[in-house]
Amino acid sequence: MPTIRLNLLNCIWAIMMKDGLCEFRTRYAVSALFMFALISLASISMSIGAASLPADLTAALLWVLLFFCAMAGLSRVFVQEEESGTIIALQLYGSGQAVLFGKLLFNIIMLLALTMLIIPLFILFLNVDIYHWSIFIVVLILGDIGIAAASTITAAMVAKTQGKNALFTVLTFPILLPQFLSSISATAKILMNVKPDISDILFMAAYNVVLMIASSIVFDYLWYD
Amino acid sequence: MYRDISVKLVDVSKSIGTRVLFTGINLVVNAGQCLVITGPNGSGKSTLLKIIAGLNQPTTGAIQIISNNKQFDAEERRACLGLISPEIILYADLTGRENILFFTRLRKIRCNEHQIEGYCQKVGLAIDKDQLVRTYSTGMRQRLKLALMLAMQPLLWLLDEPSSNLDADGKRLIAQMISNGLEQNAAIIIATNEPWEAEHADYKIELA
Amino acid sequence: MKLILLLWIMGVIYAVFYIVPPAEGLGELVRIAFFHIPVAWVSVLAFLLSAGWSVQYLRTRDIQYDWKSSAAASLGLLFCLLATISGAVFAKLTWGAYWNWDPRQTSIFILLLIYGAYLVLRSSIQEEKERARISAVYALLSFLTVPFLVFIIPRFYFSLHPEPVINSAGKLEMDTIMIYVLLAAVGACTALFWQCFNYMVLNKQKSA
Repeated sequence: MPTIRLNLLNCIWAIMMKDGLCEFRTRYAVSALFMFALISLASISMSIGAASLPADLTAALLWVLLFFCAMAGLSRVFVQEEESGTIIALQLYGSGQAVLFGKLLFNIIMLLALTMLIIPLFILFLNVDIYHWSIFIVVLILGDIGIAAASTITAAMVAKTQGKNALFTVLTFPILLPQFLSSISATAKILMNVKPDISDILFMAAYNVVLMIASSIVFDYLWYD
Repeated sequence: MYRDISVKLVDVSKSIGTRVLFTGINLVVNAGQCLVITGPNGSGKSTLLKIIAGLNQPTTGAIQIISNNKQFDAEERRACLGLISPEIILYADLTGRENILFFTRLRKIRCNEHQIEGYCQKVGLAIDKDQLVRTYSTGMRQRLKLALMLAMQPLLWLLDEPSSNLDADGKRLIAQMISNGLEQNAAIIIATNEPWEAEHADYKIELA
Repeated sequence: MKLILLLWIMGVIYAVFYIVPPAEGLGELVRIAFFHIPVAWVSVLAFLLSAGWSVQYLRTRDIQYDWKSSAAASLGLLFCLLATISGAVFAKLTWGAYWNWDPRQTSIFILLLIYGAYLVLRSSIQEEKERARISAVYALLSFLTVPFLVFIIPRFYFSLHPEPVINSAGKLEMDTIMIYVLLAAVGACTALFWQCFNYMVLNKQKSA
């Protein structure tokens, strides 16, 4: 029998690569996300004209933008499986944990790629000066992981409501709120040329870890009947 | 590995809302045996197979899959079975070959290109295996599910109307796969109304 | 039982208006607190209970726990709304603005959001068991954010809210009469909640 026990990481990787390949072939989520980001950014920039925004407002705008971009595309990982009916095969042959973390990893990569596209445009359009680049990048990564973690588990719930996508934002926002507030405050500090405390960064990291552990515990209840 | 697998249904019943599909099903299927479930549309054949697969919960009763006097847990149960059913849908944006590769990786079975080539050849998809499943006909999709079954080599086969959408050649293929599977000591449960598929049966039950 | 509860509530209302002395600095407005504090307490209590019954549901799969969880959440939303409104009125009269994102206003608002999301989620799933399962998971997840919010909110918003009844020094800074009346009001409010809750669960049991 040609069975060789490969570990969980391999399954997670397989699921992530599968989603990546399907996404690469259709390019639906990527282009929708990117266009959404571009339009919201342009509309902000057009409406404020040449006026410069205070740092805390700019920081809030950045995270509101990222949050709503995530809401526009990240539910797809589960909703798509449910709509096309492939979720049954995935349930039968994949383990819940591998599915959760595979999808989570895919969402994190999507969101990070989107952030990499948004940030230069953001700096360009809104004429922002970034001090402390290295800390800024850490804050962005932690914030993106938080958004991806919260939206992956809620996407699994939204998929069961027969594609009531408006629910996605409603469900995700309360769960994401602590991370959202701390990302905004850390970013505002960076834009004001103040180094955020190490405790701010630790808080964000701790939130991500707790959210992922909790998702992993409750996901089996969502995945199996 | 677990060559002495046996499936045991203990007092299984299912009702959806107030509609009772079946009650009090007790049976045992051992390795190398074939059970055929027949019954009219809506009698619950597919539901029973899904319950055995763990995709659906029985209203009462339990499914036990036993090997070496040890009962499998949910994870082990899923790892030992293969299901062919109209409800299983493969990824339309992957090619046939990629679908097989993906699902075998999920099942932690190492499967090389050469083997996949062989399975595709067997089910008659050798030419089309690198096309997107999106472009396949329904019959070709059914054949791809058969290839996936060959690649997974499950101990417990659950076949829900396996010959639907297949031509005469495809039906011969299924008959051959079933007898090969039984020779290799797999336990096979078929839900069908085709008399020729029922020929393999060691036992039959009819749902009303 | 209902009569006792009614008399008790009447007694508390009488005490609030005729026995409690106007507080220093707050004047007659202090009377709102005897409504505000109990309903705020009940809205938090209902949240805890709802999350607790969600855990019970996931462990036992007994649908009764789902009914309890849902009843507690619906009542919790109502009490949470009352607490928000009474708090806003109190804020307008003392600080001059209905809303200024005070930490406690923020917290109660988030509680409102969670209750709202939970109930919308429930209304969007038809199948009873699936609804119970998924909403229980959501109740648990949202409960998880509470400790983080308790830590983070006071760091972002400056507070004008009066010190909690028992302040950080652990000393009671209230008239003894006021404390007794407040405790009686909290008791009455909790009893009212419990009465409504039992009524809702009983109704559900009858209709099932």
